[in-house]
Amino acid sequence: MKNKKKSFYFKDYTESEFTNKKNNINFIKISLGRVTFLSFIFFSLMLIFSIKIIYLSLSQQKIFNITNLKNEIPKNRRDIVDRNGSVLATNVILYDVGVRPQLLKEKEKKNLLIKLGILFPELNLNLIKKKLNKEKFFSVGKRLAPKDKDEFWLMGNKAFVFDPKPSRIYPQKNLFSHILGQTNDANQGISGVEKFFDKNLSNKDKLNFSLNLTLDSNLQYLIREELINAKSNFNNIGSGALLMDVENGEILSLVSLPDYDLNQRRAINDNIYTNKITHGVYELGSVFKTFTIAAGLENRVIKSKTIFENLENSLTCDKYKISEHDKLPTNLNVEQILVRSSNIGSVRIAQKVGIENYKNFLNSLKLFEKISFELEEVGVPLSLKWGKCKLATASFGHGITTTPLQLARAYAILGNGGYEVQPFMLKDKIKSNKLGKQIISTKTSEAINLMLRKVVSLSEGTANFADIEGYEVGGKTGTAVKYGSNLKLNTFISLFPASKPKYVLLVMLDEPKAAPNFVYNMPPTKKFPKGYKYKGETRNTSGWNTVVVAGKIIEKIGPILAINDLQALKNF
Amino acid sequence: MINKSKWINTLPDTSLKNDEEINKLDYEKWTNTVPKKNSYDSIKKYSLVSILFVSGLLLVSIVKNETRSLQKEINKLEVSINVINFNLEQAILDNEVITSPENISLLAREHLNKELIFYKRSQIKKLDSKNEKFTKINITKDGKTNKKKIGDLKKSLKLKISEKFNNEKNSIKKIYSDPKTIPKNVKKKITSKIQAKKDEIKSLYDQPQEVLASKRVTKWGAIQLVKAFIGIPIVPGR
Repeated sequence: MKNKKKSFYFKDYTESEFTNKKNNINFIKISLGRVTFLSFIFFSLMLIFSIKIIYLSLSQQKIFNITNLKNEIPKNRRDIVDRNGSVLATNVILYDVGVRPQLLKEKEKKNLLIKLGILFPELNLNLIKKKLNKEKFFSVGKRLAPKDKDEFWLMGNKAFVFDPKPSRIYPQKNLFSHILGQTNDANQGISGVEKFFDKNLSNKDKLNFSLNLTLDSNLQYLIREELINAKSNFNNIGSGALLMDVENGEILSLVSLPDYDLNQRRAINDNIYTNKITHGVYELGSVFKTFTIAAGLENRVIKSKTIFENLENSLTCDKYKISEHDKLPTNLNVEQILVRSSNIGSVRIAQKVGIENYKNFLNSLKLFEKISFELEEVGVPLSLKWGKCKLATASFGHGITTTPLQLARAYAILGNGGYEVQPFMLKDKIKSNKLGKQIISTKTSEAINLMLRKVVSLSEGTANFADIEGYEVGGKTGTAVKYGSNLKLNTFISLFPASKPKYVLLVMLDEPKAAPNFVYNMPPTKKFPKGYKYKGETRNTSGWNTVVVAGKIIEKIGPILAINDLQALKNF
Repeated sequence: MINKSKWINTLPDTSLKNDEEINKLDYEKWTNTVPKKNSYDSIKKYSLVSILFVSGLLLVSIVKNETRSLQKEINKLEVSINVINFNLEQAILDNEVITSPENISLLAREHLNKELIFYKRSQIKKLDSKNEKFTKINITKDGKTNKKKIGDLKKSLKLKISEKFNNEKNSIKKIYSDPKTIPKNVKKKITSKIQAKKDEIKSLYDQPQEVLASKRVTKWGAIQLVKAFIGIPIVPGR
């Protein structure tokens, strides 16, 4: 056995290896305790750091994205565009500016009032002064453009509060007011397309895709312009127009006047702002004679050349007197009844058709039920109680109501060969919307188209002013007297080109007046092969106002329609 | 002074001293039975783990700093994209307002001739007269069908063409009947042509052998001979 260390005092005493080892172990024990303690602290710190790192990792997105939020436009609604891609409605950031008077001292309040007076003279300073002293918070500007907001911001006043809001803006202003409708402060649709397609427009998955409508801004503008001109010529209180494809029912233009600037966001409560085409329910007059004749042809009780002899100039049904609008020949054939717009002739045809057949025919054209259309503002025609007198008055469009939109659809059916169509404004439907089932025979449709053409082209017709060269316009006038007054509602509905109608155009003037100062461009006659100017007309019938307006519209929109339509181009 | 007893007592017993060799303990034997504490290894492990952890933490912080700077860069780019998008949307909006039909027609009224704003169908092209349906339906105000109109049009066109043709014929006749009216350059051309033809005929009569010896004539003669031999009727020339 080897001794590692000897005792200092005793030679025979040696320090064993065992005792040495024991001491070493004690030393390690002490060290381990310290190491464990230090490790505990170390790991605790590490744990804290780790938690912090995890927290930072998780919250990273929020922290970093603060900078983004400042410039990002929180789009919450899809754009609306027309058939050519022109923007009709889009989103912008507008600002509400408020003031917190509590943050201002008296001197500062005075300074603020002076600055506001200089920079924004349109503001009511007295009201602001009152609010500065009484209220805790008040608004000085709503839906301000960034430029206007910056003017407030540059004043550098701590009391200003800026609230950015995504808002709807309409670059075409009044042009589509009755179609697009409005949104509320929360950017939710409250009328028109904005309301009807509200869910679709606020669909987050589709926000980057615009909602395409079948409407055409150029056509809409031209039609609206003519209607505005009509107001200055015929002094009407309102007007409406509709342009629709007769084959698939797509609406190209829908105008109702008076309209309003959608960007102004004001409450539109007056009845005068009703959408006259879709919401207005009217007695439309002689435009119904076409249906009477079509019903006769369809039920095979008459032919185009069937002559009605000894037609009276007036007749009475119960208390009501039915008379002609003008002196007409006593013998008229069916074609002439339509061309000359004979009330008595229409009554005789309806009597031949019979109540049940006539009613069924009008029902097949869906003139009396609520039309399914992509607007909230859709009118419901008044219900009827059929009888002998009702049949007589209905035959020439009196005592019977419908919406102009439904009238246009019925004419589209008559014009397209008798196939059912459904008016629509959503462009996606164009492909899917093919001709529906056939309601009226092609023969009847062709006969009606020919007769409608004669209404416009023959000198004895009531719609000569719409005979625009090259467009083969066919159509029917309607002059209705408003119930309980002498005021009129004049309508002209046209189909063109009459040989194979492609478009139906409805023009309506609400309460037009005779225009003795208006210079009419009279159509050519034998005496005046180039036409002549005429002034001093005192008649207030559709032929003397609505037809003139429709003619001007067709003259202007015709080339655009032809250019857009390749098939029409081929026919050139 | 040293307390001897103190130290003496500490001395081991004599008996024990004698038996020292006998009672000698085997230390190795007992120490081996003591369980060995592998404290060194555990320290090693701890330190290794902590080194790894610390280096991991450092690595994480480095990576994090890098990603942070990258994220900053991305954010800056995103902000600039947002700004560009915002500007683009503003520009589109401006464009929509400027190119709106209302604004364009306003500009047109200011700068264009009114006649040029709208054009009539008659200004584009004439209607297709082949469209039978149209001709059937398009009735004039006099009650006559368009077919008649088109027939009249055809007749008038024919008349116009024949009139033009006659006029041209007469003018040529006039020119030739009165040679004095023919321009000098035309006269020169005609005389040179006549002279060339004259020379050709003259040479043919003067030297008929040359003509006959020409390759073309010999070839033609050979063909005629073969034709006669086979029995095909001989046609003089083509």
